[in-house]
This record gives sequence, structure tokens and C-alpha cells, in this order.
Amino acid sequence: MEFGTIEREIYVEASPEIVFEVVSSPEHVRNWWPDDARYDPTPGSTGEIVFGDRDAGGTVVPFTVIDARAPRTFSFRWTQPAGQPAAPGNSLLVTFDLTPSGGGTLLKMTETGFREMGWEVAVLEQQYQEHATGWDFYLPRLVPYAASLRVRP
Amino acid sequence: MKAARTTEVDDDLWSAIGDPTRRRMLDLLLIAGDATATTLSRQMPVTRQAVAKHLGVLDRVGLVRATPAGREKRYRVHDAQLARAAAQLASVGSAWDARLQRIKRIAEAIQRTQQN
Repeated sequence: MEFGTIEREIYVEASPEIVFEVVSSPEHVRNWWPDDARYDPTPGSTGEIVFGDRDAGGTVVPFTVIDARAPRTFSFRWTQPAGQPAAPGNSLLVTFDLTPSGGGTLLKMTETGFREMGWEVAVLEQQYQEHATGWDFYLPRLVPYAASLRVRP
Repeated sequence: MKAARTTEVDDDLWSAIGDPTRRRMLDLLLIAGDATATTLSRQMPVTRQAVAKHLGVLDRVGLVRATPAGREKRYRVHDAQLARAAAQLASVGSAWDARLQRIKRIAEAIQRTQQN
């Protein structure tokens, strides 16, 4: 039985450089995951992600960048108690590994730490998942937004 | 109130599974079908007393069911509760599936814009 790790793989028809930007930069991350993301995408930097409205009962979750090597690897820890350094045992570790494949990128995601972290995180995720079903509705607005991003110099 | 109670139970359930000795015991119980503290302790590097204590934890969260067997209790895995624990983690997995689909769509939209 393995209750500790989630592993996923997806093929993306975009270059590793683009996929790396989308999985690592806060302005992209807030478009596929939390409602807000504030951190510097460099190793050791700590910030936060926010689910819901920060000023109206939203959930603010600590977020620490562990590794950032464009365009191959981006990893972070999240859910550590506020004010504590992120470490094994107090947080979940998410790792994105990017491999060039064909004309695109094979994106592999692993999330570990559930054994150490306990049930409350799974419950938090489930709550978020319910919240996230709204994404199917908002996605048509998102794609034109994403497409406009690289128009900037 | 009911929601809070459920969360409390779930916390206990998860911490019961979170311990490697108890997971090993669940594995052994699944293989054997059923076992007592005595028979389990023969297969593990811990005392019968320690095994009995861990079985008590698993019993309280409903992961095992006990029936009297002479002076001991015989334990079996409660499949529905174990499945529930697994399903909770699976729901985390499906949340990631949805996120990765969004990552894919965003990245591919950017790629198309760059090519045009």
C-alpha cells in the first residue's frame, strides 16, 4: 500500500521554456491553482498562496521555493505552519520535472509528504477541489488571457 | 457540527495510517485475512504489547474489526474504512489532474501565440 505520493504525467505541446514559466511564475500559477500567489521563483524564497479572498475568510498558505532550474525542474513546499521554515515532515513537496519530447514537453508532477502531514491537508485539497470546479466555467476566459502574455517584450 | 466531527474522525484515521508500524500491520492482516496480537507480533520486530496498542489505535478509527478469540481478540481489516482512506487521497490526485490540464492549456496557448 502506498498512501504517501501522488504522481502524474502529462504531455504538453509547448517548449520546456514555456511550460517552465507556466509552472513556476506566480502570475501563471494563480491562473491554474490558487486565487493569488506571491513569491519570488528562486530557491529558498518564501511567500504564500491564497485560496479565496484574503480579506474575507480566505485561506493563506505558506509556499517556499526549493529548486528552480529552468527549463528542467521546479519544486516547492507548501502547507508548512506560518512562520516555520519548510522542511520534510511539516509540508508537502511538489516537484515538476520537464523533459523535451517530440516538439513539446513531458511534464511530470509528484507531490509527497501526505504520510507525514496527515489528513487535514487532504481535506484542504478536497475543499479546494470543490472550489476549483468553477474553473471549467472560467477557462474560456483564461486562454485568450494566456495567449496575450507573450505579446509583451 | 457534523462537518467538524467528520473532520476530527478523518484526522484520526489519517494519523492511524500515517504510522509505518501500523501500515505494516495492515499489510500483514490483509495477507493473512485475520490475526491476533500474538500472531502478528511473531512477524514483527515489536513486542506483543506494542502490537496490541497499535491494534487498539486501528480499532478506534474503524480500520480493523475485532472478534473475541479465547483470551485474545482476532482482528480483520475493515475494507470499507480502508477504501475510504484511499479514496480521500485519490481525490487529491484528481485535483492535480485538473490543475495539470489547465497548465497544458495555458502553455499550449502561449506556444501557439509565439508561432503565429
